[in-house]
Amino acid sequence: MSPMPVDVLNYVLLSAVMFFIGVGGVILRRNPLIVLMAIELMFNAANLALIAFSRVYENNAGHIFAFLVITVAAAEAAIGLAIVVVVFRRAKHVDVDDVAGLHG
Amino acid sequence: MIFALWLLPFAGALAIWAFGPQLKRLAGALGAATVLTSFAIALALAGQTFTGRGVKAPLVSWAQGFSFGLLLDPLSLLWVFVITGVGGLIHVYSIGYMSGDRAFARFFAYMNFFVFAMLTLVLSDNFVGLLVGWGLVGLASYFLIGFWFFKPSAVAAARKAFVINVVGDIGLMFGIFVLFAATHTTTYAGVFAKAGSLAPLTVTLACFGLFVACAAKSAQLPLHTWLPDAMEGPTPVSALIHAATMVTAGVYLIARCAPLWDVSPEARALVGTIGALTALTGAVLGCVQWDIKRILAYSTMSQIGYMIMGVGVGAYQAGILHFYTHAFFKATLFLGAGILIHALHDEQDVRKMGGLARRQPFAFWAMTVGTLAIIGFPGLSGFFSKDAVIYGTLEHGYPLLYAIGMVTAGITAYYMCRMLFVTFFGSYRGDVPSAQLGVAASTNPPVAHEAPSGHEGAHAPAWLMQVPVALLMIPSVIAGYVWFGSRDGPLAYGGPGSLWFGYFTTNFATRAEAVQAAVPEWLSTVLVLALVGIGAFVAYRRYAASAASANAVERLRAESLTAWRPLTRALYFDDAIELVFVRPASAIGAAFARVVDPQVLDGAVRDVAWLAGWLGREMRALQTGLVRGYALVVVLGVAGFLVYFAWFGTVR
Amino acid sequence: MARHDLENGAEGARGLILFWLLALLLIVTAVFTVTQKSPVYSVVGLLANFVVLATLFLTLDAEFVFVIQIVVYGGAVLVLFVFVIALLSSGVGPFAEGPNRMPRALVPAAFIVLVAFAALVYGLVRGPLATAAVHPSSAPLGAAGDAGVFGSIADFGAALFTTHLLPFEVTSLILMVAVVGVVMLAGDAPPERTHGSHSPQVRRKPREREPIVKAGR
Repeated sequence: MSPMPVDVLNYVLLSAVMFFIGVGGVILRRNPLIVLMAIELMFNAANLALIAFSRVYENNAGHIFAFLVITVAAAEAAIGLAIVVVVFRRAKHVDVDDVAGLHG
Repeated sequence: MIFALWLLPFAGALAIWAFGPQLKRLAGALGAATVLTSFAIALALAGQTFTGRGVKAPLVSWAQGFSFGLLLDPLSLLWVFVITGVGGLIHVYSIGYMSGDRAFARFFAYMNFFVFAMLTLVLSDNFVGLLVGWGLVGLASYFLIGFWFFKPSAVAAARKAFVINVVGDIGLMFGIFVLFAATHTTTYAGVFAKAGSLAPLTVTLACFGLFVACAAKSAQLPLHTWLPDAMEGPTPVSALIHAATMVTAGVYLIARCAPLWDVSPEARALVGTIGALTALTGAVLGCVQWDIKRILAYSTMSQIGYMIMGVGVGAYQAGILHFYTHAFFKATLFLGAGILIHALHDEQDVRKMGGLARRQPFAFWAMTVGTLAIIGFPGLSGFFSKDAVIYGTLEHGYPLLYAIGMVTAGITAYYMCRMLFVTFFGSYRGDVPSAQLGVAASTNPPVAHEAPSGHEGAHAPAWLMQVPVALLMIPSVIAGYVWFGSRDGPLAYGGPGSLWFGYFTTNFATRAEAVQAAVPEWLSTVLVLALVGIGAFVAYRRYAASAASANAVERLRAESLTAWRPLTRALYFDDAIELVFVRPASAIGAAFARVVDPQVLDGAVRDVAWLAGWLGREMRALQTGLVRGYALVVVLGVAGFLVYFAWFGTVR
Repeated sequence: MARHDLENGAEGARGLILFWLLALLLIVTAVFTVTQKSPVYSVVGLLANFVVLATLFLTLDAEFVFVIQIVVYGGAVLVLFVFVIALLSSGVGPFAEGPNRMPRALVPAAFIVLVAFAALVYGLVRGPLATAAVHPSSAPLGAAGDAGVFGSIADFGAALFTTHLLPFEVTSLILMVAVVGVVMLAGDAPPERTHGSHSPQVRRKPREREPIVKAGR
């Protein structure tokens, strides 16, 4: 195999950009589905960093981690969407800001 | 062997405590057997003890200068003899005396525990072990004074004894701390090796602390008030703990710490003076008591005053000899009194006795021997030891204490003969109504033995109580003859050269530097005997002569009602303690209860509660319930971490 | 195979161009995803994002992750999203956003995110990563399935089932828990409730308490 053509810093910075795009989505969007997608973006950003480092150090533990993250992300998406469905059943429309039953 | 000697009584206590209900009457036998076995072991170890500097048995050592071990040297051996020997006899006696008591097994568990505690005290080779034993005997004393806990007066007496003993414990700790700060060790050997090189003020301070402990434990002024009240305990307890052994722990401590007292003349003067004053006070107060056990308690206090005076002024051998003889004759007196009390169904007031010589001949002879011994009748044990103490003060240059000791000897003869005559002479007054005798109505419920119905009349055979007393009468007569036989010849009398007794006090034989006394010893002895004779004669005239016997009831009534009030109030010591310590303490406590507790402590609690409520009210605004807000806070945290990472982080 | 193309291209600028192209696409699709008004468009953007990311994984020799990125994310997860959108769209206006309850959050949020991002970038650039030498691989060119070649599926599988067997098994547990949780949440429709979640007891005012009636004699 050949050396990685692109410096690892570029991958990590790309991962950071994508992560904060996800963060912005989570904070600013009020549609729970899009919030969940933004969370998926953040997961994927983390995966990108993991795999980039894995390549640098030629250690496939990073791959294993990415695999675990994907699994957790899938589980999280399933649970999150189930919650969305439950909320929809109660309130007939879904808005993150309406789910505020725990306010003080 | 020394461990067996030390731990056997404890094992007995544990066994009786655990299996008391199963052991039933055997509990007493087990208790007596363990203590007497310890005595046998002590006898077996005696030879070994004399040949060397004592039997040493290190146990644990947990830091430099901190170790715990056992040491059986001649001095502690003497105490071990008394604790286990006299203690064993008193155990046997107790089997008879306590036979009707429901808590028979509990009594023996406590007694065995006391023996173990006292052995810890005298066998320890360091101050820490001494302190442990010191505290444990106080605890055992507390248990046994309050043994009949259904009597409020017994509970109060137990509490009083415990509290005053704690004052002493604090003094002991203070002394040990001073010694440790100065020498960096707590073992006797280590401390005494440096005793000569310490600053005199340090030694005096340490001696003062140790003497506070002695005063509390040995009922010296002004911490003596608990001892007469301690007579609320069963009579064998009074005989063992409050006459023969525990109250002499102060004598042991001073004798053990002789190297310190040798360095500090101030401490010697203090101890000697307090001892002499205690001897005088106890004797004077003994003259107006009517309760037979309180008479004996004040006489105990007085005799311990003699011992303390002896060891205090430097006449260690004399003081220790007096402890030795006193243990026998005072135990005889107490156990004899116990036989009377037992036979008269817990009557302790001598005014309600009288004429018991014919009814209780054995008790009469026992008490007579004990009385003759304590007043120093020539030839009996007390004669030698008391004379040695009194003359010892003169030899060591304290003529004033000498005078006090002489006067006290005369008073002792008076009040002891008074007790003897009122109790045994004349005619029996048990049937005379109390009011005619001037006996104040008792505030106590008259119950002493809580006899379960099944054991009514099932008293143990009389010999169980008589044999131990008889065995104690023998040394009461002859124990003083150890004073004979010295380097100067087999019949030479007393002094630093004394051979047999010198064995027990090897440590002091060379150090007791006597000054030339102005009065020769034979003259001093004659003077003491004259005073004793006067005291006994006055008692005879007042209580036993035919004129006095004829109208004994009226005379006793008159004396009861006209006694000088300061004496019947025990010279107001209790009132003074009440005024100086109890009232201010109560006032401080009340003030705290009124001001500090509600304002400061409860106030702080209230403020904390209010703070929590306020925080909750203010912080609830943060709890918006908005998920996005929470996410924003999480991101804020991430941002904080990242900023920290960017500024201070080092990536390796 | 794409793999060989990428490896051969590593020698020159092609690999670099490919990276920047993929990076650009990744950012564009991500921004597209979070900015769409309708979740359906977002899902499409997310799909594109996943595929681009999978390709990036391939440039990093992560062949198995590349595969499951397509299969699990592009397949399972996205289908789940589409499914929920379809399910909820049967109602009336399910995604109509109500009033914004954090109207003033935009500026602080943007500030916080920018600070965090700047700090991260600063920390990364300042750190040793910027000059980290990428270890040249000494392994010979191998087939994709060969064990012992970094990133190969055989290599990954061997690691997954030997060294990292325990995490792998834990993964199965996580998935099972998720399945149970989803069934518990969405499976049983709770009885219809009136709007609002407060129970009548809580809503009742203190004054409305039941009158206290004394027990008869």
